[in-house]
Amino acid sequence: MAAMPSQVVASMPRARFAWLLLFFLGPSVAIYSLISIYPLVATMALSTYSSTSTGEHFFVGFANFETLLTDAVWSKPFWNAAYNNLKFFLVHMLVQNPVGIALAGLLSLPRLPLRVIYRTLIFLPTMLSVVIVGFAWNLILSPLWGVAEGALKLVGLGSWFAPWLGRPSTALLTLALISVWQFVGIPLMLIYAALLNIPDELVDAARVDGLGQLRIFLYIKLPLILPTIGLISILTFVGNFNAFDLIYSVKGALAGPNFASDILGTFFYRTYFGNQLQVGDPSMGATVATVMFFVILAGVCVYLFLIQRRMHRYTF
Amino acid sequence: MRPLVSKVGVHAVLGAYTLLAVFPILLVVMNSFKTRNAIFGSPLSPPNAETFSLIGYHKVLGNAHVGTYFANSMIVTLGSMFFVLLFGAMAAWALTEYKFKGSNWLALYLSIGIMVPIRLGSVAIVTMMREAGLNDTLTALVLVYIAQGLPMAIFILSEFIEQIPRDLRDAARCDGVPETRIFFEVIAPLLRPAIATVAVFTIVPIWNDLWFPLILTSSESTHTITLGVQQFLGQYITDWNSVLAALSLAILPVVVIYVLFSRQLISGLTAGAVK
Amino acid sequence: MATLRIDKLNKSYGEAVILRDIDLSIPDGEFVVLVGPSGCGKSTLLRMIAGLDGVTNGDIFIGDKRVNDLEPSQRKIAMVFQSYALYPHMNVKKNMTFGLKFSGMPQPEVDRRVADAARMLRLEPLLDRRPRDLSGGQRQRVAIGRAIVREPDVFLFDEPLSNLDAALRVSTRVEIAKLHKLLKATMVYVTHDQIEAMTLADRIVVMNQGQIAQVGKPLDLYYTPANLFVAGFIGSPGMNFFDATVDKKEGGAVTLSGPNLPAFTLDALHFAPTVGAKVKVGVRPEHLSATATGRFRIVAAVELVERLGETSFAYVRVGDQAQIIAEMKGREVPSVGDVVTLSAADRDLHIFDDAGQRVVVD
Repeated sequence: MAAMPSQVVASMPRARFAWLLLFFLGPSVAIYSLISIYPLVATMALSTYSSTSTGEHFFVGFANFETLLTDAVWSKPFWNAAYNNLKFFLVHMLVQNPVGIALAGLLSLPRLPLRVIYRTLIFLPTMLSVVIVGFAWNLILSPLWGVAEGALKLVGLGSWFAPWLGRPSTALLTLALISVWQFVGIPLMLIYAALLNIPDELVDAARVDGLGQLRIFLYIKLPLILPTIGLISILTFVGNFNAFDLIYSVKGALAGPNFASDILGTFFYRTYFGNQLQVGDPSMGATVATVMFFVILAGVCVYLFLIQRRMHRYTF
Repeated sequence: MRPLVSKVGVHAVLGAYTLLAVFPILLVVMNSFKTRNAIFGSPLSPPNAETFSLIGYHKVLGNAHVGTYFANSMIVTLGSMFFVLLFGAMAAWALTEYKFKGSNWLALYLSIGIMVPIRLGSVAIVTMMREAGLNDTLTALVLVYIAQGLPMAIFILSEFIEQIPRDLRDAARCDGVPETRIFFEVIAPLLRPAIATVAVFTIVPIWNDLWFPLILTSSESTHTITLGVQQFLGQYITDWNSVLAALSLAILPVVVIYVLFSRQLISGLTAGAVK
Repeated sequence: MATLRIDKLNKSYGEAVILRDIDLSIPDGEFVVLVGPSGCGKSTLLRMIAGLDGVTNGDIFIGDKRVNDLEPSQRKIAMVFQSYALYPHMNVKKNMTFGLKFSGMPQPEVDRRVADAARMLRLEPLLDRRPRDLSGGQRQRVAIGRAIVREPDVFLFDEPLSNLDAALRVSTRVEIAKLHKLLKATMVYVTHDQIEAMTLADRIVVMNQGQIAQVGKPLDLYYTPANLFVAGFIGSPGMNFFDATVDKKEGGAVTLSGPNLPAFTLDALHFAPTVGAKVKVGVRPEHLSATATGRFRIVAAVELVERLGETSFAYVRVGDQAQIIAEMKGREVPSVGDVVTLSAADRDLHIFDDAGQRVVVD
C-alpha cells in the first residue's frame, strides 16, 4: 500500500478533500453501485416475492427457493442444469487447465524457435466471439458436412464418429470441449507469464543438480506457479457457472437435445424470459439468479479464505 | 546438447495443437469462398477457379443492417473503454493516493465486481433501464459495460499507479499545482502502458458479448454485430454459403486486428497476470 | 579433485563471436579467477565449463574426460550463482540435498554431507528456514553449501559477491579463501572486481573481448603485465600512461621522450622498437613519488588531492595531460596549485609497443 500522503494532502481543508474524493471516485462508485451492486441486491430481494398472472406482487419469503429446489416442476430442470454445470466445470478443470499448463510449460522453454508464432496462433481462438466458435464447430461436427468424419477417417478412427452434438449423452461433453478449445488461451497466457517470472538461474541450478527438463517443471516450476493455478481455477469456476453464450448459440434457449446441455445460465435465461414452453417469470428468474450468485460466492470464498491464504506468492 | 528426440517432440506437440487451434478457422474461411457443391463435395480443399464463389458474401453484405451492427459495436466498445479508463484511472488514483478512513473498504467493495458476474442482476437491470427510458438504447449497453469493466480496470490501474515514483507528484505539489491537474497532466500520461493491459481485459469481452445485447436491445437499429451474426446464423441455418460468409466476415476483422496488435495484447495480458 | 583443461575453445551465437581460441590449463586444486570487464566472455566461459551453454568449437576436459557433450550433472561440477539461485519453496536443508536425492545417493551419505557442510559454513541453526527468512550473506553461504555437498571435481563461482554489500563482501571473500584451503579443490571464479581477483587467486586469467589477455600469478600480473590492457586493468587506481617516441638507441641505452614527457634514458641491451617508433610508458601511482630519484622525471601541477588517511592520491596535470595520479604517504601532502616534481625508478616503468604488447627492457 502507498506511504503516508504528503503534507499537502494531509493539511488540506476537509471540505476540499471531500470534493476531491467526490470528483475522482464519484463516477466510478455511482455507476458501479447503480448498475452492478444495486441490481444484484434488487434481484435477491425480488426472489423473495412472487407475482400472479394479474401482475400483483406479494412477499413470499423463501418460498421460491423451496419451490426451486424441491418442487418437481422446477427442481428437476434446476438440478439437471446444476449438475450439468458441474460436469461442464469439471471438464474445464480436467482438460482446459492441464492442457494450458502443459502448453505454457513447452512455450516457456529457453531458446525455443517459432515461439511467437505458436503463442500467437494458439491464443487466436480466445479472441473470437463465442457465437462464431459455436457455429463453426457446429458445422464442422455436423454429419451433413462430413468434415469431422473425414478427418477421423484419415487417422483411422472413422468408426468413432457420431453426431455428438445431437445426442443427449454426448452433447454437453462436446460443448464443454468446444469451450475448452476456445478458452485454453487464458490459462495458457497466465501460466506462461508466471513461468517467465521464474529466474533463469534457478533453472540453471536445477540442471547442475541433475534434473532433466520434465523434473525441473514438476519439482521447481510447478510449485512456484501454484498461486497462479489457484487463480485460474477460481476464474474457471466463475466463468463456467456464469456461462451461457456458447450453449445458447449452438443449441438455443432450450439447450437441447432434451435439456442435456442445459446449464444454470441457460436455465436462468429461460426462466426469466420464457420461451415456447413456458411464460417468463421474473420472480423465479430472480430466484435462480440468486442461487447462482451464492454458488459463485461460495466458490470465491473457498478460494479467498482457504486457498489464497495458504499460497505464498514468491517474488524474485 | 539436448537430445534431438525431445526437441522434435516439443515441436510435434506444439505444432499439433497449433493446427488444432487454427484449422477450424481456416476451414470456415476457406469454404466461404466456394460454391455450395464444392463445400460439400470437397470440404478440405481450397477454392480453385471452378469452385470459387462469392454468393454467400453477396447475401450477407446485402443485408442492410450489417453496417449498423458494426457501427453499434464500435460505439459501444470504444465508448465503454473510454469511460472505463477515465473513471477507472481517477478512482484508482484516489484510492492509492488519498488514504482516508474506509478507503480500504471501498477498494474491497469495488473489487467484488471482479469475481461476481454482473449478469446475475439482469432482471433488475432490464427493469431499471425500462423505467429510465433507456430500454433498447446503446447508452444502456455502454452503462452496463462500464459497470462491468470498472472493477478489473481499477485493480490493474491501482497496481500501476503504485509503481509511479512519489517524487513526481511531490515535486508538482511543491510547485503548487492543484490536485486535478496533477492527475490529468502528470499521472495520466504515465499510464499509457497500462492501457494495453486494461484494453485486453475490456475490449474483447465487450465486443464478443452476446448476453446484454440480447436482453437489452430489441430493435435492429441497436443490435451489435455479435448479436446480428447470431441471429443471421439462426435464420439462414441451411444456407451454407451465407452462413460461412457471415462467420468469415465476423472472424476476419478480429483476426487482422489481433495479428497486428498481438504483441501488445499478449504483453498487456502477461503484465496484468503478474500482478 | 581434478584438473581442468580447455583447448582452443570457441563460442559464437550466429554471427556474434563471444569467445575466441581460449586455451587454458588448470592443475588440480588451483584457485583460478577469470576477470575482465563486462562483455569479455568470462561468464560464458564459466557456463561452458559447467555445461549450461554449448561449445561451438574446441574441447573441455575435466580430469581426463572430454566433457563437451555431457550434461552439467554428469561433469562432477558444482556452481555458486550470483543471485544464489536457492529454491524459494524449500528450506535450507532441502535446498542442499535436493540434487543428491535424484542421484540415488543413500540417505546416511546425504545426511553426512549436509552435516559436514553445515558445520563448515555455520549453517546448523538455519537448516529449517526458508530462503526468504535469510539475510543475503546467509543465502550465499547456503548456496556455497549446496555446492560443497556435491563433492565436485571443480567448483564454479559466478560473481558470487556482487549482490552483497561492501562489508559482507569482504567477510564472504575471506570465507571462500578459507574454504579453498580447507577443501583443496579446483575452483574457477568469475568476477569483474580485480581486487577479488588479486586476493583470492592462485592464478588470474584476465579476459578482454572474448580472448585471454594474460594468465599468471597475481603479483606477476601486477609487476609484469603482458599488455596495455592488463596493465591498465590490474591495480587500483590504474596505471598512468604517457605517449612517447624512441629518440635514439646508443650502445646499451635508449632515450625516450613524449609530448608530456621530458626525455629520459634507460639502460637497455634488449629493446625491440626502432628509433622513431611510438611507445607507451606506464607507471603506477604507487611508484610515482616526489621523493624517488630516477631518470624518469616529470614536473606537474596539482589539481586535486584525495586524502584517505595515511595514503593520499594527488591528481596532477603534466603539459596537456590531466588525471595523472600519484600516491602520497603521510601528513605532508601537497595542496592544489602546487607544482611538484615526480619521479619513478627504472624498474617501475613499463614500456608497451605500438600494438600494446610489453616491451622487454633488460
